[in-house]
Amino acid sequence: MSYLEIENASVSFGPVSNRTHVLSDINLSVNKNEFIAVIGFSGAGKSTLISLMAGLQTPTTGEIRMDGKPIREPGPNLGMMFQNYSLLPWLTVSENIHIAVKTVFPTLSKTEIKEKIAHYVDMVKLSHASDKLPHELSGGMRQRASLARTLSLDPKVLLLDEPLSALDALTRSELQDQILNIWEKEKRTVVMITNDVDEALLMTDRIVPLTMGPEATLAEPYLVEIERPRDRQTLNDHPEFKRLKVEITNYMMAINKGSKVNQHEITSMPDVRPRDFSLPSARIRLKNKTRQPASTA
Amino acid sequence: MAEETKDKIKYKLLKFIDLSGFKVFDPPVRLAFGEDPKKQTSEIGKFIILPILFVSLCLLSWHLIAPTHKTKSGAVPTPGKILNAYGNNIRLSEREEEKEDDFLATGQERRDRLTLVEKAIPELEAEAARLQKLSVEAQKQGGKSINDKIAPLKAKLDPLKAKHKAAKAARKAAVANMAATVAAKKATPEDSIKLAIAHAEQAEAESEAEKILNDKVNAIRNNPPESMNDAKIAANSAADEVQHFKKRFDVLTKENKEIKRTALLAKIAEDEAVLASSSDPVVIASKTKSISTNRKKLEKEDQKFAKNKTLGFQTIRSLATVFVGFLIAAAVAIPVGIMCGLNKIVMACLTPIISIFRPVSPVVWLLIFQIVVGAFFLPDPASHPLFTTLNQNEFFASSWLEFGNPLAYLQTDAAMIFSACTVAMCALWPALVNTALGVSAIDRDHLNVARVLKLGFWARLFKIIIPSSLPLVFAGLRISLGVGWMVLIAAEALSSSDGLGKYVWDEYQNGSSQSFANIILACFIVGIIGFFLDRIMIVLQRLVSFDDGSSTA
Repeated sequence: MSYLEIENASVSFGPVSNRTHVLSDINLSVNKNEFIAVIGFSGAGKSTLISLMAGLQTPTTGEIRMDGKPIREPGPNLGMMFQNYSLLPWLTVSENIHIAVKTVFPTLSKTEIKEKIAHYVDMVKLSHASDKLPHELSGGMRQRASLARTLSLDPKVLLLDEPLSALDALTRSELQDQILNIWEKEKRTVVMITNDVDEALLMTDRIVPLTMGPEATLAEPYLVEIERPRDRQTLNDHPEFKRLKVEITNYMMAINKGSKVNQHEITSMPDVRPRDFSLPSARIRLKNKTRQPASTA
Repeated sequence: MAEETKDKIKYKLLKFIDLSGFKVFDPPVRLAFGEDPKKQTSEIGKFIILPILFVSLCLLSWHLIAPTHKTKSGAVPTPGKILNAYGNNIRLSEREEEKEDDFLATGQERRDRLTLVEKAIPELEAEAARLQKLSVEAQKQGGKSINDKIAPLKAKLDPLKAKHKAAKAARKAAVANMAATVAAKKATPEDSIKLAIAHAEQAEAESEAEKILNDKVNAIRNNPPESMNDAKIAANSAADEVQHFKKRFDVLTKENKEIKRTALLAKIAEDEAVLASSSDPVVIASKTKSISTNRKKLEKEDQKFAKNKTLGFQTIRSLATVFVGFLIAAAVAIPVGIMCGLNKIVMACLTPIISIFRPVSPVVWLLIFQIVVGAFFLPDPASHPLFTTLNQNEFFASSWLEFGNPLAYLQTDAAMIFSACTVAMCALWPALVNTALGVSAIDRDHLNVARVLKLGFWARLFKIIIPSSLPLVFAGLRISLGVGWMVLIAAEALSSSDGLGKYVWDEYQNGSSQSFANIILACFIVGIIGFFLDRIMIVLQRLVSFDDGSSTA
């Protein structure tokens, strides 16, 4: 049943004497065609986690498997959509997709490639801008182009690394709907990294919180059992939505607070107070400085 | 509708201005299309009018200050003189063109030209004689004024010289005297040495005093009055013109290609007639030989007129040399730079080499190349098969190149190769370092994209790495071309490879009244060409840049 599995994975950096453990004891299993969200604070190691799943990084210990086979290197099956678009800036939108399609499907004819590019560009509603360079596009359009390129690989697993966090709220909701639409049309396994509880509740089947680093690990998941299609307008009043939002938010706040308390215990600030170092003698005093009260001397 | 097309034209123009980097012309274009006239006028005032005024001010102060500085080669030429020198150089190249046309002219055209030249010669001669007379007059006048200026100095110098002569004689006598005294044991040899030292000091002081006066006299002599110089230059240029027309007459009557050809053909026909009717074996032998050599001559007859090297030719040759050197530099620097950027081990291996050779002066490289590369062209570089082949007329000549073989036109030789190698060696480093930087600074995300797509090494190189490093590569090439152009002039001067550098050096050695102006003229030509080369590179750099290009000014 489980399609993408992470078993006892951990990631550490640095020499043995001074090792930083970013992630430890990560266990996760994602079902086929399931849409899950990993939610966590910035700096917790979310991007490291998704890089592991994409095969861009290898875990220090443990294993990641897709369809029962261990993932050792990145590939088009693991469609990763990067946080900062990572479109090739010297290529237009359709050329960016072209390079992906051409490499992954080398046997396609020219017209088939063209059709495929048109299909994906149309899917993210970028047909009018397909001949534009990335720097001529807005952030939302770039992210849509990036999504089109990732989808054009026809990946078995879609890995979204904070796809919407760089966008403004309006563009964000528009793109959320688009991603959902696409997912509902062509079901596939999706792992999305996010820091927005509402977004996760709107889009996914399951939400897995990542605890604060270092040695971040995955906490108990929350199942989002809200019937699809979910409507943005009415969702806010849905009792299940309200319950989960409060629960998850409280949980996240708690782990954040806990880590802050921890920090507070470790570092105590030195008791420093400002002091007047100016010399009492008027002779050495700077020209423009106002005269100090005589009492200081 | 008209409004719309107007806007289109305007934005196209503005885009072109932006691309070429001449942002200064932005306001005038906007003004011409009536956009916010107040703002544009103020911009024009600030960024066009004021700079023009400033440059004019510089020119004016040059004009005023230059004549006051007297040098060994006369006063520093003013901007007007430089302009004059430019005109003279243009006239020189025109003369070469005229002579070439005369050489190639045939039939009626040749006769027409000849009549013109014949008519012009007496007129020019009269003019030249008149100017010569004026010049002689001016020389006389100038000589007189120089003598007037020198006279008081002379009045001091001559008695001084006489006095010193007397003092010298007295010292000589004293030395002889002292020698006798020492010989008679009335004085120690030490006394004699002391006397000699005292004398030497005295002699030095005297010659110093003479030298100061002499220098003053020479300074006056070397800086004759302006009128004298101008008259001389005018007379010389008129004489040059007469010379030129006489030469043209010669070319039209004797050296003309058609005339020579007809003469040869006539000679061959005559010999053939003799050969046919003769039965004397000696005559037959000599005539056969003569016919064969003449026929060969006819075949080999030089199609080209041997032109003198003009400033224009030197400029073109310099450009060709720098281009060759730059191409060599780019061909080496880009692949090596890419390897350095891709592989840290390669970088580590090459770093010591780059660090040590980069600061080496171009002059040293030139000498090394002259020795090392020169060894390939021994014993006689001038007749080395490489150059004779390259400079052959048929070689590389094609129908679309009107002037035939460009290499023959440029007269490739060993010195050109040395200069090009020196340029390449010095221009190599900026391109190499920048390419390495561009390749190693590639965005990690782009590499991750390549990994996700599972691109192979070559696909990764050509589709991701090279395109992403191109802006920096071109930034490096731009610096390289600038360095190369600067190095080239020095290399040409030193290796006497034809080009602007040699032109400057020859003018410096030549030391005619025009030389100083010609040198400064060459300085401006070098500067202007360097400026345009840089602009071209900026445009190329912008064309390959994928951002908005604002980072390259």
